[in-house]
Amino acid sequence: MMKNNLKVLLIEDDMIEIMKFNRVVASLESKYNIVEAHNGDEALNILKKKDELPDIILLDLNMPKINGMEFLSILKKDKNLQHIPAIILTTSNNQKDLLECYKLGIAGYVLKPLKYEDYVTKIKNLLAYWSINELIKI
Amino acid sequence: MSQDNIDILQRALKREKSARKAAEKILEEKSLELYNTAQKLKEANEKLELLLEEKTSQLQGVFENINDAYLIMDLEGNALKMNDAAIDLFGYDISKEKLNVINLIYKPDANYAFKSFKELRKKGAFTDYTARIITKSKSIKWVHINASVIYDKKKMPIAAQGIIRDITDAKRTASLIEEQKRKLAKSNDELQEYAHIVSHDLKSPLRSINALVSWIKEDNEGKLDTASLQNFTLIETTLEKMEQLISDVLSYSSIGSEENEKIDVDLGGVIKDLIKILYVPEHISINILNPLPTVKGYKTKLQQLFQNLISNAIKFIDKDKGLIEIECKALKNHYQFSVKDNGMGIDKQYHKKIFKIFHTLNESKNSTGIGLSIVKKIVDLHDGDIWLESEPGKGTTFFFTLKK
Repeated sequence: MMKNNLKVLLIEDDMIEIMKFNRVVASLESKYNIVEAHNGDEALNILKKKDELPDIILLDLNMPKINGMEFLSILKKDKNLQHIPAIILTTSNNQKDLLECYKLGIAGYVLKPLKYEDYVTKIKNLLAYWSINELIKI
Repeated sequence: MSQDNIDILQRALKREKSARKAAEKILEEKSLELYNTAQKLKEANEKLELLLEEKTSQLQGVFENINDAYLIMDLEGNALKMNDAAIDLFGYDISKEKLNVINLIYKPDANYAFKSFKELRKKGAFTDYTARIITKSKSIKWVHINASVIYDKKKMPIAAQGIIRDITDAKRTASLIEEQKRKLAKSNDELQEYAHIVSHDLKSPLRSINALVSWIKEDNEGKLDTASLQNFTLIETTLEKMEQLISDVLSYSSIGSEENEKIDVDLGGVIKDLIKILYVPEHISINILNPLPTVKGYKTKLQQLFQNLISNAIKFIDKDKGLIEIECKALKNHYQFSVKDNGMGIDKQYHKKIFKIFHTLNESKNSTGIGLSIVKKIVDLHDGDIWLESEPGKGTTFFFTLKK
């Protein structure tokens, strides 16, 4: 049986955060297809290629130019993109942000922990969870 | 004329005389009575007149001395009488010029004014009319008016009177306060937002350092000596403390910016949940001495209040058998709570200082010096007070009150 690797679009501006994510992914047995975008603009460009859409989007909230929330509202208004599960990956546990994000239609909200080992656990579980989900394939 | 006839006549005359005498006597008595009554009436009248005079002069006094403006007008709105306060307020002196109250109406409020005037004619009075007027010098003033119709003896309306209070200053103050409140709420929101952003920006580098340290450790496994490993551990604990500090500052600054209303909070339930999630070492027992009440407040804040006090107590217990006792008693308007421990105690000189932010008595990994200032702020938020009794070496009891 052919098993498709989960395709993840990671939108994150912080270099070390990207390194962290990639290091976790590299340490895992399952293989994932990671695409990086360093800000909202770049992400929107990547999403223009309709035949290469990601399965899920991991999104940082605090970013320069288009911030996470703005990106999210653009995404959720776009008929071709709104079905893609977006999971927030952020430091802010501001209740206002949480509410706003869930209202816009996110699929998850994960806080970045201080300790790297905690981060490893969270990302591992997150990727494992989305791997067992049925996703829209175009 | 026969003797008989003469006798008859004489008897009749005698009867008549005595009857007249009786009548005269009655008349005399009656007129005396009448005189007395008239006299009494006269006295009463004099008294009444005196009273009336008194009342009139009292009214005159009221009319002249009340701080509010007083005005009598005819049914067409022409001012007939005004006191000094009215002259001051309106700027018109009716001994020198005519004034119709229509001239005082501030145009944007005209509809309301005419409606109220109609009501006055129909019902005989209106109260709490509040609108703007325009004075002779064209300045706009806010006034509050109570007015009533004056009737003659036949119950026909002949005039109307009103007491007019100048509420311009009160209105101005009220709107100023409103504006300040709005500004304050806005700047509070901004501060709150700012605190979140700052805390995000401060925490991000800590996370990065933590990741980098663990990679160096991972990538150099077996190559690092004990001293280096110890130093790495120190970096990690420092990072944890720094992160705790940032979280505490954030939670301190967010107290009081509650958007929700106060609700009924069952403190018994709060404590029960709290003891489940708190880490309580085996040698320490927590006893609730009496059932805790339900108070009006912010649930998460009250939970944090108890959490900070209890974990403080746990932290500073230095005995083999630790005991924490929570008690409550009802005061008139407040509930008074106490959290008592048998820990190391706090020297008297620090009793005030410990509620100040960043003031910690023990340099330890777990204390940032914010916990008790958060506690103080939460107590303040619930209109209460906090203080402590303590004996160094024996233990500490924190007392605080929360409004019922």
